Amino acid sequence: MRTGPPRIALGAVVTCTLAYLLFPVLVVVVISFSSVGYLRFPPPSLSLRWYAKLLDTPAWIESFWVTLEVGSLTMAFATLLGVPAAFALLRLPIRGKAALNALLLMALITPSIIKGLATYLFFVPYGLINSVVGLACAQTVSALPYVVINVGASLKGFDATLERAAIIHGARPLTAILRITLPIIAPGILVGAVFAFLSSAQELLVAIFLLGTVRKPLAVKMWEGVRESVDPTIAAASSGVILMAVALFVVAALLQKRARRLYAR
Amino acid sequence: MPSPREVMDALPAEDARLLPTPAAVRAPRPGLLPLLLLGPAVAWTFLFFLLPLAVMVWQSVQHDGLSLFHYRKLLSTPLYLSAIMTTFQISLGVTAGSLLLGYPVAYVIATAGPRVRGLVLLLVVIPYWLDYIVRSYSWMVLLGRMGLVNRSLIEIGLISEPLSLLYSIWSVNIGMIQILLPLMVLTLYGAMHGIDQRLVQAAAIHGAGPWQAFRRVFFPLSLPGVYGASLLTFVVSMGFYITPALLGGRKQTMISQLIYTLASDMLDWPLASAASVLLLILSLAIVLVYNRLFSIDRLWGGATS
Repeated sequence: MRTGPPRIALGAVVTCTLAYLLFPVLVVVVISFSSVGYLRFPPPSLSLRWYAKLLDTPAWIESFWVTLEVGSLTMAFATLLGVPAAFALLRLPIRGKAALNALLLMALITPSIIKGLATYLFFVPYGLINSVVGLACAQTVSALPYVVINVGASLKGFDATLERAAIIHGARPLTAILRITLPIIAPGILVGAVFAFLSSAQELLVAIFLLGTVRKPLAVKMWEGVRESVDPTIAAASSGVILMAVALFVVAALLQKRARRLYAR
Repeated sequence: MPSPREVMDALPAEDARLLPTPAAVRAPRPGLLPLLLLGPAVAWTFLFFLLPLAVMVWQSVQHDGLSLFHYRKLLSTPLYLSAIMTTFQISLGVTAGSLLLGYPVAYVIATAGPRVRGLVLLLVVIPYWLDYIVRSYSWMVLLGRMGLVNRSLIEIGLISEPLSLLYSIWSVNIGMIQILLPLMVLTLYGAMHGIDQRLVQAAAIHGAGPWQAFRRVFFPLSLPGVYGASLLTFVVSMGFYITPALLGGRKQTMISQLIYTLASDMLDWPLASAASVLLLILSLAIVLVYNRLFSIDRLWGGATS
């Protein structure tokens, strides 16, 4: 089954599909370096003018900060809530696990227009709208499943005998989890946290409803941008979002490495 | 709407209780530990998700006291009905398209060696890093009147005038399938991963050609995954807002856009709430079917195992 015409045809089909999947990504990256303000791909020549425009426009800078604030808060909330929840869901004999899983799935797939409208209606009487923390609280709901799913998957792949070995050798259960289990599943936690950040940074409608009129996170700014003019600023801005996520990932990875070294002493 | 606690109590206990895990054995008071670990997350979801939804449902049935006025209005106005129909139409097309394109990719990931598998998986998740706005923008660049597609077609002489590709059902489909394909592929792969390849080998040993082995053994075994991934893709595409708003024309207005217009332009909060509840019920119904067929537990392994 490894060779022969069917395999080659399959390879061709899959290559075409992957090209379709990735071509828009390439277009965005290339066009963010375009030298002209109209939609032209490939661009006539390359420049950094759209990145310069971003850095020169206080409104865009402000948007980066808002996204970073909301995103980091969301990431922190979702990780703090999600990691213990994943432990409980995977390891403890809990009643109604199916209902909890269904709740998580529901939080994941409920359309953001519904989340936005519902939270808005809920927040208005209490004066909770137009607050960065309020937005982060709402976005945590959608970010939580990413953390639970990723941590859950890591926990599933984790060899529990390592933890038991630590306990047999006299470690207290909590110590064993903190020093053995958590460092080993750290990559899963990291991936979950970055997904949580990205889901917050890319969320548009909840942000419009809860924050849109006062401070504008990048998604809202980009949304307005793409409807006002089609110049490549938003392509450059989205590279910024990716950079932020990567930077967070690296920082978190370094912190985790350091923590592990401290523990190992 | 019942609280999660009530829902939990109503459900039969899982058989997992019979097999104590290490954590359970050493837990000092098993009664308290789950509450401690799960309580915050559940409380949070209740406060910032279920409660707001309840408020929205409540608003949608208010009209001089309790009434279904807004729902009747929604279902008797042709404009609103057509948005619902359009949503179904687009979601169906997008699901079918994603399945057609996604199945071969998932198949390759599931059956290839570790190297190819890693590479294709990596390529499939790359687009996740870009948000919907930018990915839709990218199609505006490509499909515009003077976009790459039109210019190439003119260059090779297939057409003499640029086609209007944007703001049509086509551009919406192309944009949405590109966004939903990773979800489709990863969910399909999660299911195909569990198929025992020895069964396919056994078919080959018994004289089946590769095509026959695929069609008679692998494909039927992958069908539950196909249904699951399709349901998931369908339900997610029903809630789309950004892509149809940027790539679609007036005729491609989906429910989310309708809700947004009702809420933020017409300030008709009760009607917007009613439309949201309708969309929510449709989504939940599909999720329930999904859960019945596959149990959501499958999600755990889906992305990584």
